[in-house]
Amino acid sequence: MLLSVLLQEGPANTTSYMIAGYTIIFGVMLIYLISLLIRQRNLNKDLEVLEEIQVED
Amino acid sequence: MTVERESSYLASEKNAGKVASFLRAMGAVVWKDLSAELRSRELISAMLVFALLVIMIFNFALDLDPATRRDPTITAGVLWVIFVFAGTLGLNRSMAVEKDRGCMDGLLLAPVDRSSIYFGKALGNLIFMLMVEIIVLPIYSVLYNVNLLNLGLLVVILLGSIGYVAVGTLLAAMAVQARTRDILLPILLFPVVLPVILAAVKASTGFLDGSEMELIRPWLNLLIVYDIIFSAVAFMVFDYVVEE
Amino acid sequence: MEESKPRLLTVLDVFTVALFLIATYMVFFYAPQEAVMGDVQRVFYFHVATGWVGMLGFIGAAVAGIIYLIKKDRKWDIVGLAAVEIGIVFIFINIVTGAIWARPIWNTWWTWDPRLTTATVMLLIYLAYLMLRQGIEDPDRRARFGAVYAIVGSLSVPLTYFSARIFRTIHPIVIGSGDPSATGSFDMSPLMTQTFMFSLLTFTFIFIDLFWHRIRLGRKADHVEQLRLQTME
Repeated sequence: MLLSVLLQEGPANTTSYMIAGYTIIFGVMLIYLISLLIRQRNLNKDLEVLEEIQVED
Repeated sequence: MTVERESSYLASEKNAGKVASFLRAMGAVVWKDLSAELRSRELISAMLVFALLVIMIFNFALDLDPATRRDPTITAGVLWVIFVFAGTLGLNRSMAVEKDRGCMDGLLLAPVDRSSIYFGKALGNLIFMLMVEIIVLPIYSVLYNVNLLNLGLLVVILLGSIGYVAVGTLLAAMAVQARTRDILLPILLFPVVLPVILAAVKASTGFLDGSEMELIRPWLNLLIVYDIIFSAVAFMVFDYVVEE
Repeated sequence: MEESKPRLLTVLDVFTVALFLIATYMVFFYAPQEAVMGDVQRVFYFHVATGWVGMLGFIGAAVAGIIYLIKKDRKWDIVGLAAVEIGIVFIFINIVTGAIWARPIWNTWWTWDPRLTTATVMLLIYLAYLMLRQGIEDPDRRARFGAVYAIVGSLSVPLTYFSARIFRTIHPIVIGSGDPSATGSFDMSPLMTQTFMFSLLTFTFIFIDLFWHRIRLGRKADHVEQLRLQTME
């Protein structure tokens, strides 16, 4: 990436926009993955609690 | 041969009977809404006052000088914004009344085809919307000094309102059954009805501008197609919206 | 009743991650730099791919809606919701990356071009879908209304595109015969085409993988909900 910055001659220097773009792409996908994981974990916890209650009954 | 003919004759008579009862049920729903409105006049008056307020706000918000006021693009845009907002008010109210007074349950218990209820409600809403539009047009003409008495424009307004009400009636029936019903209808309706509004605004601009029919016709055709598509789909899925 | 993770899903996970790493490598190092636009053109590969996933999600939601209305099986409601959620995430990425690309190329973040308008309307429709669901407590009614709205919404999206398309567009149509007057269009070199196709393939797998995970999550949530109702009784 650094190389391409140094080699800027003909093409417009738009590297910062590319970095911004891929930050958004990777960032949002990561956030979504984390949200899936968190929801999964919470459900597992709820499930454990509910199963305990059912055994007690 | 004769048996066949007889049976087909019977079938067609049966169909005719079905159509008649469908129309009767639809008419009853429309008549119920109209006579209730004639007594209370709350829906139309609310929509009208609201429409006038929107006209006023536009005048100050856009700070229009006399020349721009007569610009067809501005006129068509402002008119449709008024219709869309006033229409939302009316749709929400007309469905909320059914829900609150428990009329919807009564309607659903009636031994009629449910789609006749949909078409009845939609036709009622269309009549209210057209009445508001017919009153707004001359007022707008006077206030902004533009001539809106244009047969083409009236046709566009009719077609646009049909498409708007076709989707709007369906979505309002869903919105009033939700907890967040006061805010839900515009959020559900506006993005879905956008193609209708787009075509309607373009066609209205064309007629106000005095454009050639060649340029307006595609938009008119689009409007007709949208009206048919939206009415057909709303009619097909309405059953699922009111079923208990 | 903890459902164990299917073996095939694990394989799919690994495969998808591998594809994603290769695609990322191709975007940054394999594909050549575009001669006029420079590096920002590299956004294009994943920009189109995320738009593709967004569309897959919304088509999936409409199909699941139709099947739900016919079969009345809650399973299909879970599928529909999963499709909408993934669609929203990716169409959001698509819109934002598009704006980032447009800033240096069109010299503006945003124009009301048909594709931009359609993508936005799509996002708004499916956000409205989530809000509609949130407002309804009864699960069956929520499923029915969700299905109806997904069907009506999916119908409106192509109509919006069609209406907006009648105007002249400045959005480049890179695939298929493009209008050469569109700002920011370019000819893809073979290496670029390979990278582009590979990105599309990769994101299709990402969609399938996420979809599967999200459906499993939805089923688990449904199961927990039912257990909760049982214990409350």
